[in-house]
Amino acid sequence: MSSTDDLSGVPKQNAFSVRAIINNAGIGLALLVLILFFAVTTEHFLSPNNITNILTQITINLILAVGMTFVILIGGIDLSVGSVMAFAAVVAGKAITLPGLGTTELILLACLAGLLAGLVCGILNGVLSAYWSLPSFIITLGMLNIARGAALQVSDAQTIYSFPFAFEEFGSKLIYGVPVVFLLGLALVAIAWFVLNRTVFGRLIYGIGNNEEAVRLAGHPVFWYKVAAFTICGLTAGIAAIVYMARLSIASPIAGIGFELNAIAAVIIGGTSLSGGRGSVIGTLLGAFIIGVLANGLILIGLSDFMRQMITGVVIIIAVVLDHYRAKFSAT
Amino acid sequence: MKLMKIAAAAATGILLSSGLAAAEDKPKVGLVMKSLANEFFQNMLVGAEEHEAARGDYELLAVGMQNETDFESQINAVENFITQGVDAIVIAPADSRAMVRPVKKAMEAGIVVVNFDVALDEEAKKQQGLELAFVGPDNRGGAKLAGDALGKKLGEGGKVVIIEGNPGADNATQRRLGFEDSVAEHGLELLDSRTAHWETEEANQVFSTMLTAHPDIQGVMAANDSMAVGVVKALEAAGRDDIIVVGFDNIPAVVPMVEDGRMLATVDQFGQQMAANAIDLALEVVDGGPALEGWVKTPIELVTAE
Amino acid sequence: MSSQPNPIVTEAPLLLDVQNLRKSFGGVHALDGVSFSLKAGEVHALVGENGAGKSTLIKVLSGVHAHDDGTLTLDGAPFQPSDPHFAKAAGIQVVHQEFNLLNDLSVAENISIEAFPRTRFGLLDRTAMRERARAALDAIGLRDVDVNAPVASLGIAHRQLIEIARALQSESRILILDEPTATLTERETSRLFDIIAGIKAKGVTVVFVSHHLNEVFAISDRVTVLRNGQTIVTQDIEETSPDGVVAHMVGRALAGTAPKAFADPIGDDVVLSVNALRLTPSLPAEGISFDLRRGEILGIAGLVGAGRTEVLRGLFGADPVHSGTVTLDGRTLKINQPRDAIAAGIGFVTEDRKDEGLILGMEIAANISLASLRDVSLRGLLNFARERRLARQSGAQLTLKYGKVSDPASSLSGGNQQKVVLAKWLARTPKVLLLDEPTRGVDVGAKAEIYGILKDLAAQGVSMIVVSSELPELITLADRMLVMCENRIQGELLPDHYDQETILKLAYGQTGGVEGSTS
Repeated sequence: MSSTDDLSGVPKQNAFSVRAIINNAGIGLALLVLILFFAVTTEHFLSPNNITNILTQITINLILAVGMTFVILIGGIDLSVGSVMAFAAVVAGKAITLPGLGTTELILLACLAGLLAGLVCGILNGVLSAYWSLPSFIITLGMLNIARGAALQVSDAQTIYSFPFAFEEFGSKLIYGVPVVFLLGLALVAIAWFVLNRTVFGRLIYGIGNNEEAVRLAGHPVFWYKVAAFTICGLTAGIAAIVYMARLSIASPIAGIGFELNAIAAVIIGGTSLSGGRGSVIGTLLGAFIIGVLANGLILIGLSDFMRQMITGVVIIIAVVLDHYRAKFSAT
Repeated sequence: MKLMKIAAAAATGILLSSGLAAAEDKPKVGLVMKSLANEFFQNMLVGAEEHEAARGDYELLAVGMQNETDFESQINAVENFITQGVDAIVIAPADSRAMVRPVKKAMEAGIVVVNFDVALDEEAKKQQGLELAFVGPDNRGGAKLAGDALGKKLGEGGKVVIIEGNPGADNATQRRLGFEDSVAEHGLELLDSRTAHWETEEANQVFSTMLTAHPDIQGVMAANDSMAVGVVKALEAAGRDDIIVVGFDNIPAVVPMVEDGRMLATVDQFGQQMAANAIDLALEVVDGGPALEGWVKTPIELVTAE
Repeated sequence: MSSQPNPIVTEAPLLLDVQNLRKSFGGVHALDGVSFSLKAGEVHALVGENGAGKSTLIKVLSGVHAHDDGTLTLDGAPFQPSDPHFAKAAGIQVVHQEFNLLNDLSVAENISIEAFPRTRFGLLDRTAMRERARAALDAIGLRDVDVNAPVASLGIAHRQLIEIARALQSESRILILDEPTATLTERETSRLFDIIAGIKAKGVTVVFVSHHLNEVFAISDRVTVLRNGQTIVTQDIEETSPDGVVAHMVGRALAGTAPKAFADPIGDDVVLSVNALRLTPSLPAEGISFDLRRGEILGIAGLVGAGRTEVLRGLFGADPVHSGTVTLDGRTLKINQPRDAIAAGIGFVTEDRKDEGLILGMEIAANISLASLRDVSLRGLLNFARERRLARQSGAQLTLKYGKVSDPASSLSGGNQQKVVLAKWLARTPKVLLLDEPTRGVDVGAKAEIYGILKDLAAQGVSMIVVSSELPELITLADRMLVMCENRIQGELLPDHYDQETILKLAYGQTGGVEGSTS
């Protein structure tokens, strides 16, 4: 038998949940080091305005990454979220600029339309990849193009603008210096945490990522759980689209190019395994913070754009290497 | 071989019009566009199509690409047009070096070529022994118009930052140089210059952080209006109405911003007419007019609230 | 505590001598004073329960792990196997139980993978590669294997033999076989033993790790028993007996492995009735038909590939079924997927624990509740207290040895992992339990415990179908035995007709019909 069996009978010192905390603590520590570093090296990093800035800046990526966490936990990947976000934004933008409706109706209609657009893309991703057991990498790469094309088609490649004031206000409103849109992102993290850790659904999401066949043979409809994970990811892309519009007062069909990679990076830096089954949405929150703090702090210390790009790349690689060792230690 | 290239052009580009049979004696003009996902080029194409309908004495064949850097499908499109035997090719090159060779091939086939929007690289033209005029706006001059408006408003010593376009893109470089010309001429102080890849969201993030680093910023020069929108939203979020923003392109979304003073100025290079103007010039040569020479500058206008 | 000194008879020169070997992982003493010696040209069995230290000892000898303390002597000279290449160069080859073959490459490529033959131009010399593979396979009598076939096209037994061929092609003096028979049928095992005898005749020393004492006694010259990281005893095989070895292994006398002495009270009522079951249209038209009565353990014997696993998978809905009817308690079932079978009261302990049975990375409690999440949740919300209670109850019921129910399933030994799989199904109180190789990779002690559990379940009225490649296991467990051959039921036997010869004849399709049947 394998080496693990030679050590059997001896209880593991790090229980599953404790280990999860330790993992997150490691990421949290890295974040803390980054924050301390920028606090010492720059003048304004910890100023209230800049903290507000960072919270605003990470929100869209955080929202996308929460959905992405579900997909990566089942061992999939969703490359389409950036394009789906643009498509949802354009659809919502078309809705919100319809003539002859009251402000409240318009905003409600736009939110519904945007969320629905994201939802539909997510369901398609899920059904297509789960039904034929195709790699989600390819299916969502296709959706990346479909959604981008649809966004351009619907908008005629024009930026949509001129939204109701109440809608734009939501995008810039602060509560004690904390952007409302960030609180929305935080609420999504909390909901996702609850779903993943306290519900049967979440248990099976982890189970599918670990051992799909065992879950299937225990009588669970694996297909629908996979579709659900992709649907959640599409839905969060829709939410991100609404936030994007409210913040920037435009809906651009070329918005969100490359956002999927940032979202994936946040999830992976947050310690979720690319092969699925292991990770947490709290880690994703920390991962999004690390990316946001880096982007912000490196500008503050005056590093060039190109150096900034390189350092972000280095951080992603470090995270994946660390993940490799985490996986190794938890295997023995 | 040719068949494959046609197929490739149809697959990678977007073949917008394919009326080979329609025209008996009308001259055929091939229009090679850049990314139609960019509303600037989308509007330009619409302008060209309206122009074709209005003039009625030529046939337009237009090809666009999927993204800004997809020069492969431009090369395919040019070769495709050579095969079809068009009378003129009007091209906005995606890459100022890579397109020199196919353009030369077209000219050797007796086709009138007009290069507009972005100029082909001088060095590369020399190397290939190619003489070709450029019809297009002066991006550097246009940026300087916007920069000068800002400079005049701020006066000497005004503190400014630049939000650049895609690093390496020719128009991004020209606009940055134009802004820098204004900085030098008006004695402005350039605090920082960063790219936001033409993107609203990124410009919003990058600028809000720049503002933290340099709370004393007085003016912002954005290399396009999409980024200027992001800058304006960042200023609103920070509650700063004392910082002056100029942009470039005059897209519809910034018209209200210029009107209510959230932006000082933007630059209109009449993109919608640009392709149409280039087609007019090409048709004159086809009709036996003299060959174009040097740089035929297209109109540029500073847009302000007045 | 030191191991008692064993009077090692030294007529033959010692090839390898290991004294007082120690190795710890963290705070765990995997090897806690192991002494072990090999005489040139002997077959030396290494036995012990899982966790006794066998694998760690092998890994130290083959240079995978460095030891903490102790001495190794090879040919009278100090030996420090610092890495696997060094150990290989010294002539020590290991065939692991988990294969190291690349399934998509050909047999020849796999055999040459450590050092591909090259042409003068540095290109891969395919001819030489094929010749080398042919020679290596012929050397162990594998003349029927095509060297160009991809490994994936071969059965498990052949893959094992190809690993052995690969290990033997270089000059090896010590060949370590780590549980080589765990996945083999008896015929394949006896072929392996012929090969081992051939290797031994060439002067190669063989270390043979196995849970099967009958195999140990069939081919070994000496046997060393490890327990808790210590050498308990090394004996010449003639001087000991299987019972003696088991006593050393577990440190106590063992009960429950004797064939059942009395018949369980099996009811007359048929619980499950299978009629003309076929998984694909290409299978024999008559399909598989049998009845299972309440509290009965029905064994299915047969060679690997006879279609035994397929019957279980079809009954459970794990694989699609082409035709046939299944009735449970008189109701005809429509089983399209596992959840249908589970809803009807059927459980399935799969052959492959790691890939199909367990979620190794998840908690023991989560594994136990996996098939009965509805019982430990309310409106989709998990009730952790209830889940832990369920896990502790099943743990106690099945004498599961674990640290905490929140430990990952991977922290358990093979036997305890299997108990977790059983617990998962028992939590649903199934009417019918399907078991495919229920004790594969499980050590002797845990095996006996699992047999006890299954018999208790039968006594409580649970009906079971057990597929196994170990005849002693079926003989111990089954109230009735079906023997399959080429996707047919070749015969049916009652306990008084259980003997290896009869069963094997049926399994090879040499005889047919129902013998000693009462139905």
